[in-house]
Amino acid sequence: MRLFKKTGNTMHILCFPDEEVEKGEYLLIRDERARKSMIVQVIDIEFANVPGVMEEILRSSGIEEFVEGEDNDPLDVASHILYIQDARLLICKVHGTIVNGELIPESSWLPSRTHSTIRKIPTESLVKLANIEGSLPIMIGETRDSFPLAIDARQLDGRLNIITGKKGTGKSHLSKILALGLVDYGATVVILDLNGEYTNLGYSLDGSKNKYHDKIHILSPGKTFKVTLYQTNLYVIMRTLVYALGLPGTSAREFRHIWKFLEKTGRLTLHNLGEAIQNWKCNQHVKDALYSRYSALVNSGFFTDNMAEATDFEKLLRRTERNGGGIIVIDLSDTSPSDRQMVVEYVLAKIQETLSQWKIRAVFLFAEEAHLYLKETYWDDIVTRMRHFGLFTTFITNQPNTIHENIYRQADNIFLLNFVNEHDLQIISRAARADAETITSIVRDLPPHHCLLLGKVVKDFPIIVKIKSLDVKTMGQTRFFFTEKERLVPDKITIHEGKDSNL
Amino acid sequence: MLIGQLHYETTPKYSFLQSLRNLGISKRIVELSLNSMHTIKGKIFKVSNEELASFFIEHMDSEDQLPTKDGMLSALIMPLRAIRDGTSIIGIDVSSIKIGVTDVGVIYAVRGAIVLKTNNHYRYIRLGPLPFHITKENIHEVFGELSRDLSLRFNFLSYIDPQIQLCNIMEKWLRAYVSHLARRSIILWDGSLTAGTPGNPVSDLSKMLRAARENSNVVMGISKETSLKFIRWGMTDLLNGYKPPYLFEIRPASFSHTGSLRLLGRIYVAKLAKRGCAFRLDIDKAIPRDEGIVAVEKLIGNETLYQGYPETLRLAHIYSTFTASDVIGIQRLLIKKYGLKLVAHNNMHRTLFGPYGARLGD
Repeated sequence: MRLFKKTGNTMHILCFPDEEVEKGEYLLIRDERARKSMIVQVIDIEFANVPGVMEEILRSSGIEEFVEGEDNDPLDVASHILYIQDARLLICKVHGTIVNGELIPESSWLPSRTHSTIRKIPTESLVKLANIEGSLPIMIGETRDSFPLAIDARQLDGRLNIITGKKGTGKSHLSKILALGLVDYGATVVILDLNGEYTNLGYSLDGSKNKYHDKIHILSPGKTFKVTLYQTNLYVIMRTLVYALGLPGTSAREFRHIWKFLEKTGRLTLHNLGEAIQNWKCNQHVKDALYSRYSALVNSGFFTDNMAEATDFEKLLRRTERNGGGIIVIDLSDTSPSDRQMVVEYVLAKIQETLSQWKIRAVFLFAEEAHLYLKETYWDDIVTRMRHFGLFTTFITNQPNTIHENIYRQADNIFLLNFVNEHDLQIISRAARADAETITSIVRDLPPHHCLLLGKVVKDFPIIVKIKSLDVKTMGQTRFFFTEKERLVPDKITIHEGKDSNL
Repeated sequence: MLIGQLHYETTPKYSFLQSLRNLGISKRIVELSLNSMHTIKGKIFKVSNEELASFFIEHMDSEDQLPTKDGMLSALIMPLRAIRDGTSIIGIDVSSIKIGVTDVGVIYAVRGAIVLKTNNHYRYIRLGPLPFHITKENIHEVFGELSRDLSLRFNFLSYIDPQIQLCNIMEKWLRAYVSHLARRSIILWDGSLTAGTPGNPVSDLSKMLRAARENSNVVMGISKETSLKFIRWGMTDLLNGYKPPYLFEIRPASFSHTGSLRLLGRIYVAKLAKRGCAFRLDIDKAIPRDEGIVAVEKLIGNETLYQGYPETLRLAHIYSTFTASDVIGIQRLLIKKYGLKLVAHNNMHRTLFGPYGARLGD
């Protein structure tokens, strides 16, 4: 490999056919005379602009099909010509400089074209150099040079993360690895599970209970997750009514009065709330508005007056933390869109309440396709305000346009799986943790189950990793049509040649 | 006009290409190339991109510049009919290029291609690229040995660019071998059958043509560009009104012979295809006129014509011509194998005058 040119923080390196380099790999440009080395990452590979190649191809196109022949090339010049014609140009981004074994974020110097040597840096060396693994490693998978890459759980602590990639590339799988990794270090994780994909986390692939089994709590709203109004304080119910059910301001004021009245008289039940709304002296429109929201609360099945079947969510959070961490999965798969918003509002408000009262230290929230249950106004709240209370969110989506640009800009870590759609690539390239060129070029060619890690977890050295498999029942409960049919069709038809055979 | 129908047997498939290989004809020329290259080990090697670009501008054949006497032209238009009898067609072309300069000489590369069409099938054999390091010390030796080995009366002429001479000698060598080895074929040369020009003695050309005739071959020279003029009109443009394919013969009386120049071919302006261009076509003069015309009819019957130009010759040109990546590849070989130290060739104007010494676009 030879250094060709540098423009801004982009380095162009000539690479010859016998040198194997892949997108995403890191190279070390060592300038012995300057006693410095520059670290660059290959973000794209092009054919070198060798003069005459186009002419050569145009000339030979069409000829090769009908002309046979041979070359009497005693000096084997052809091999040199082919070598030149197959030369590649590596487009690289500068990521820092090593001086006296120390990594510094400098890219202003220019290594010598003639004296520099260029070689690949094994991921292992890079990880050590940048201290990526840290003291709380979460194993993510293998890099292309077969290095088992782990990230430091501390780099997820207090951070905003995004996991995105097109459908079927392994987003949920990765989020399970992260969630379980956090649990290994005693963290409390809440997962807003839109498709019921996390409900089997407590089971191994063979269906037996795994080591996480007792740490996984599945809550299905309306079934195993019901709450009483008594457990739901005014702040939580008001957020639910206003954000999830769109209660107008005037009606909200009246509701507050009703709630306080019931609370004061010790009659705060669902039944009494309905009666109180009907009997409350107020504008008929307000009354209607309140009653329709009340009906929604009742019909959701999420609220109950039966203390025995109610879940004390706050208590569950505290118990989970006390027991050394765990995952609370809110299974939203059988919940209608309006009820979903109600449940999520409740959960978030309850978490915020618990955190703000320092009843628990922190919650790692994994939100799948959050745009389906979070109001727009809520995003900033989660990212900025609630972060300070100790709610650290990981958004998971296959529609990158549903996440606001400011969230990309504020994200500390981004886990990118494959995207090919130009529009999607443009959106994700807004992430502040890496330059747009690196993201669009590498992500476009990521194979399934390969992820580009960006941000603090990799100390801003974007690394491609093949996500490891998990010994947990990770599949969701997608119902397939053809698997059922296949069972009816035998794999192969066997013809018995015995005496009973008619053939 | 009665044209005698000659019988040409088809050349056995690839037999002459096989013979070309079996004879090891390239051995000596390769040795000479290697010997010349041994003188360059560890030397400084200058490469100029500006010069490189100019190498790819094709030089026009100077040998086509034959003067005609205005008003003395007697000519015949001969319509042609295609004869499809499977006669083999062979095209020969050679290219050379300057690869770089050392502190004691110049490195050239030469490459030749022979393309054979037989039984509707094209096959080629390509020799080279062969690099030659030509210095003041070895120039006479290299050319002397080349001509001796190839039994050619070739004398190095100091006033002609060695590159042109190297190309000529290689071309002659390929033409001579094909003339000896091919049987009952039409052999197409790039250029005319004019001899007596510097570095192109009449005896050599006569010998090759004789050898070809003895093997029942017909040699034709096709010039892409010609400066033949008739009453100040370019001859190849003159015949636009006639329906091709046809031949337009330029009789010897039309030419004012100068010095040692000898026309060993009968000269025609040929338009061989409807949508093609007209070319100067020379046919071995020692072959009866009618036979020559039949040979042209066999050429148009058995050969694909691209813009009126025979495909074998076009392919030979394509296979021999150097591209920029070829040159870079050869330069790489020289550096790797012979340890040449590559330095960029200085542009003296730029060195002396900076930006004021450069042409537009430099």
